[in-house]
Amino acid sequence: MEKNLEDLRIVAEQWWNQGIEFARQIPQDQLYAAIGVLLFTTIFFFFFFFSIRLFRRTKSNTVLLSGLSGSGKTVLFYQLRDGSSHQGSVTSMEPNEGTFVLHAENTRKTKPVHLVDVPGHSRLRSKLEEYLPRAAAIVFVVDALEFLPNCRAASEYLYDILTNASVVKNKIPVLLCCNKTDKITAHTKEFIRKQMEKEIEKLRVSRSAVSTADIANDLTLGVEGEVFSFSHCLNKVTVAEASGITGETEQVQEFIREYVKP
Amino acid sequence: MLEQLLIFTRGGLILWTCKEIGNALKGSPIDTLIRSCLLEERSGEVSFNYGAYTLKWTFHNDLGLVFVAVYQRILQLLYVDDLLCMVKESFSEVYDPKVMSYDEFDERFRQLRMEAEARGEEMRKVKVKVKPLNGVKKQGKVLKPEGGNKKESDGDGGDGGDEVKGNVSSLTNGNHKMEDDDDCVVNGKENSGGDDNNVGVDVSKLAKLRSKGVRGRGGLRKAESVGSNKGSSKVEPPKKATKKNRVWDDAAPKQQEKLDFTDSVDENGGNDSVEVAADQGESMMDKEEVLSSESESDDDEQRSDEKPEAKKKGWFSSVFQSITGKANLERTDLEPALKALKERLMTKNVAEEIAEKLCESVEASLEGKKLASFTRISSTVQGAMEEALIRILTPRRSIDIMRDVHAAKEQRRPYVVVFVGVNGVGKSTNLAKVAYWLQQHKVSVMMAACDTFRSGAVEQLRTHARRLQIPIFEKGYEKDPAVVAKEAIQEATRNGSDVVLVDTAGRMQDNEPLMRALSKLINLNKPDLVLFVGEALVGNDAVDQLSKFNQKLSDLSTSGNSRLIDGILLTKFDTIDDKVGAALSMVYISGAPVMFVGCGQSYTDLKQLNVKAIVKTLLK
Repeated sequence: MEKNLEDLRIVAEQWWNQGIEFARQIPQDQLYAAIGVLLFTTIFFFFFFFSIRLFRRTKSNTVLLSGLSGSGKTVLFYQLRDGSSHQGSVTSMEPNEGTFVLHAENTRKTKPVHLVDVPGHSRLRSKLEEYLPRAAAIVFVVDALEFLPNCRAASEYLYDILTNASVVKNKIPVLLCCNKTDKITAHTKEFIRKQMEKEIEKLRVSRSAVSTADIANDLTLGVEGEVFSFSHCLNKVTVAEASGITGETEQVQEFIREYVKP
Repeated sequence: MLEQLLIFTRGGLILWTCKEIGNALKGSPIDTLIRSCLLEERSGEVSFNYGAYTLKWTFHNDLGLVFVAVYQRILQLLYVDDLLCMVKESFSEVYDPKVMSYDEFDERFRQLRMEAEARGEEMRKVKVKVKPLNGVKKQGKVLKPEGGNKKESDGDGGDGGDEVKGNVSSLTNGNHKMEDDDDCVVNGKENSGGDDNNVGVDVSKLAKLRSKGVRGRGGLRKAESVGSNKGSSKVEPPKKATKKNRVWDDAAPKQQEKLDFTDSVDENGGNDSVEVAADQGESMMDKEEVLSSESESDDDEQRSDEKPEAKKKGWFSSVFQSITGKANLERTDLEPALKALKERLMTKNVAEEIAEKLCESVEASLEGKKLASFTRISSTVQGAMEEALIRILTPRRSIDIMRDVHAAKEQRRPYVVVFVGVNGVGKSTNLAKVAYWLQQHKVSVMMAACDTFRSGAVEQLRTHARRLQIPIFEKGYEKDPAVVAKEAIQEATRNGSDVVLVDTAGRMQDNEPLMRALSKLINLNKPDLVLFVGEALVGNDAVDQLSKFNQKLSDLSTSGNSRLIDGILLTKFDTIDDKVGAALSMVYISGAPVMFVGCGQSYTDLKQLNVKAIVKTLLK
């Protein structure tokens, strides 16, 4: 044990001596210059990373696309980015992210939007929470064609978003985007709004019952004693129509530009 | 014939489909595949059946691409794995994240397909010859450093009939590969130890020989590190070559002394000898102790598992690697970290089968991925596993029972919950807890005593009912539970109860007549919720219980769409400390969420599962 330490010490000493000798061989100015460059680069890098963080936090340009699986978020994402849905899409397993100027807009003098398409599959819901704190706006996509069978699930998801702590705190505006309106049998946005308000009203009752046993947030939605309406929310909730396949996304673009100023 | 071949990103955008084939698929097999297989951490499996189709897939993790082939199940397509692999290789060459359409890939695909088909045909023709040939191929692939699971399975895609079998064997092959390697290394080492015994003469006892073998190894390490110190950056020289050097080194007694000392430092300094102990098995007592104490103190030093694989390569190289980021993760890199992770999960009472599957899935999702700078493999693997666990435990459907109760109330019918489970897990007790909880929220509850089998069961429930002031429906013993439940529901509809909680007799999953009775009860009454009550103490049996219950319920059901287990009530959660693995096992195997957690003796001891806390405990 001791011998061993001794051994190590000797080796270290040898190295140390070698190192000193080597340093002595280098001219002084060169040494200083090297140290200077080293310091400069490290400081520069730190500053660089830090400033990126800071920049992101202060001026958020993040817009989230959320909604149930199969409501057409990915198609909408590519419509906004490229103006085309390419060859269609399948269920997403990971978020699609991109920072770009919307396709329909003039490339110059506009600020790019950081658009995130969060998968709607319930197993991947937790991803949304990662993005919520830095979101400037949320687009909640609803399938207007297959609305009624999915109404409850969609409302629950929307309820979770609306009661999320950072959404309430930052008053993040939400757009209820009724997708697939190019189809004739699609429901109107008014109908969808009313149905979802009704569902959320029911949820409000049942969730307040659960909350005693639950560990989840205890934020309540809307005004006590009144039937729930989206206008009761602290954050602004608006309704719009869109069609991802045909590329009618003007209302969504307007909404995005309202909160991410060019 | 191949029905369809798709290439899409993990984000969900289809990049390329085979237009030539162009058959419209019935239903949405791809979406179903993603939802019920890939997102459920079952991507380690070989194929997936949907309707009349079989789907096979492969990932390109670095580029985030998924390749899926769809074909008719009745056809034995031998070349699909091969084709997928070829497509993956050639597509990754042309892939550019900015380009969204790859029309020019059509031509390339046609070639690949012809090639693969031809090969498949050949294989079919010389089927007899294929088998030995296969073995050779497999081995060849195993020996390759990047011999991935997929590739291996390609190798034996040839023998269509027992394709699955072949895959399984190749899989295990793959898994054992590492161990085998290690074994040879260890053997070699022991041999070298023996040699140096012959040369060094003075030691004769077996124990000493063994210890020397290891010491020799420590010495070897030192020799290596010295070598690297002297300036050569070759940190991992081919071990066997150095080993031979070792033998000669040992001949010189001076150096041996020196090396002996370094060895002791090594032992103190790090756990790098632990792996050796694992491989050598019974050989050394003290090493074994180190190993066992580590597995025991697993919770205390959570990093201890990571140490061996981090330290296996030289310190310099690992630091260098962590800064630069490693090129691409290979199976062999992941193996030790995953093995440690699996052990850790198993110490947390996760069923072995599940831990194995999870690790495979994580491996499939990481293989070929780039390791980011300033990260280690172990932490990357852990991160991926954490994500996977959260994904599994997050309920797929709403677990808001209140909401469903209210919905049922609007339809003026009672909400029926059936409690099922094996004997003695606490069905009646937790039924009472649920009743209490519902009652607290102003829901009128009725109990139905359908345990007409065990003596005293009705009385037990009656006692609960009296204490909680809840009406109980009972018909005594020796009645058909299905009929009792039916009458109970009718009664509830009459007197306007909102919820009917049906208690059933406990039954072992293999008890055919009782399972038949349960199936009848469920089919006759069509409950809103079938709640499986399982105890958190259960280990490997959890898989068996749940899968058998589900199996029996679906097999014995008379109608077309059978009712399966909708949710899980986990009991005795207060007795297990940090061994929360049963929750994971049950959720994984059934796909049903944990709706309640029973955590004590009193009526108030009912909680909901905190997914994040569970995941944290599992990975601690």
